[in-house]
Amino acid sequence: MNAALGLVWAAVATAGFAVLFELHLREVPLAATGAILGWGVYTLSGGEGGTAVACFAAAAAVGVYAELLAALRRRPAAVYIVCAIIPIVPGGGMYYTMLASVRGDLAKSLELGFRTLQAAGAIAAGLAVSSAIARLISLERLARRLGGRREKPRI
Amino acid sequence: MSMDTRRIDPEDVLLLAADTARVVLESGGETYRAEDAAQAVCSALGGAEAECFATPTGIQLSFTGFDGRVHSIVRRVKKRSMNLERLSRVNDLARRLYAGELDFDGAARELDLTERRPGYPLGVSLAAAATGTGFFTLLFGGGWNDALVAAAVGALLSRVTRILARRQISDFFTNIAGGAAAALLCLAAEHLGLAASADTTIIGVIMLLVPGVAITNAIRDTIAGDLVAGVARGADAFMAAAAISIGSGGAFELWRRLFPGTL
Repeated sequence: MNAALGLVWAAVATAGFAVLFELHLREVPLAATGAILGWGVYTLSGGEGGTAVACFAAAAAVGVYAELLAALRRRPAAVYIVCAIIPIVPGGGMYYTMLASVRGDLAKSLELGFRTLQAAGAIAAGLAVSSAIARLISLERLARRLGGRREKPRI
Repeated sequence: MSMDTRRIDPEDVLLLAADTARVVLESGGETYRAEDAAQAVCSALGGAEAECFATPTGIQLSFTGFDGRVHSIVRRVKKRSMNLERLSRVNDLARRLYAGELDFDGAARELDLTERRPGYPLGVSLAAAATGTGFFTLLFGGGWNDALVAAAVGALLSRVTRILARRQISDFFTNIAGGAAAALLCLAAEHLGLAASADTTIIGVIMLLVPGVAITNAIRDTIAGDLVAGVARGADAFMAAAAISIGSGGAFELWRRLFPGTL
């Protein structure tokens, strides 16, 4: 599959899921852009095999992007994260793990299960790192300088 | 303003704060966000030492009112679904209340409006489900014919799961039925020559049900120190994945028995 085409598929699929998750129509293009960013970083760091490093890098990129948007648009970062992370999230892995165990293939189930947990852990760690970075360099102040509205207590 | 807020009945504050946290959790918000929102509401309306303990299935909240008594409440969270617009509205409500831009009545009205806010119309939701599943099938290496089948099955599946959820069928059964229906329909499409690969088509459709975000959130909660919530979310994701694969595994088995040699 053409890599550039993959970015388009990821963006459109994410837009579909964003609407399904009742994201406001104005924010859908932003979420889709986040998916392009995440999927791009994921494939560039060799993600098609589902390596933890690729998951971590993609999640950190999506996380920083979402924190920046959250400060600019004054919505929870989670709103953008939940959508933009969907293409890299190991949903398929969870499914294949359980399918292998339902079929009685214990070895395959264990292997897939471990890889799935690794991917999910890497994504969660990437998001945790990006939110820590956002707090350290105070993206909110940066956003204010970029034209966001005035700073509010962080809830 | 500070004098007025002190006169609001602590019991009313308690209800507003607990409902705010409940809506955050029902809309798919993080555990810490629900706790922070409830505490913000309490302290904005004159409650001291507000403490909130939230898990995906319930909220406990208590604070000391201006009368010097401790008030507390327990709220169960029964239905959970992703609703990002509701999440950002309720988050905004807590933030504005805390910043003094909203008073008690305004916040209560806003919360009521947020809860009753209609979502996208049915046609839009169906188109969104079809787009999501179709393009995920393409992303996972399927062809255009696979994507079309996935889009049709995905739209149908999203409608059926929504109806089952409204009838208060348990998530476990909904996921079994969804996994089985997705697998059977995709296998049938492959058999009839509509789709090239049932496997790619199924995984595109299953993205609607699969708890990828849930397992990630479970680990995020655990990292954030919300251990009980993290473990509970992990169990939720695990059960969902198990139910989907029981459904689709059963469907594969049924297909093998009905049409031997076609799999």
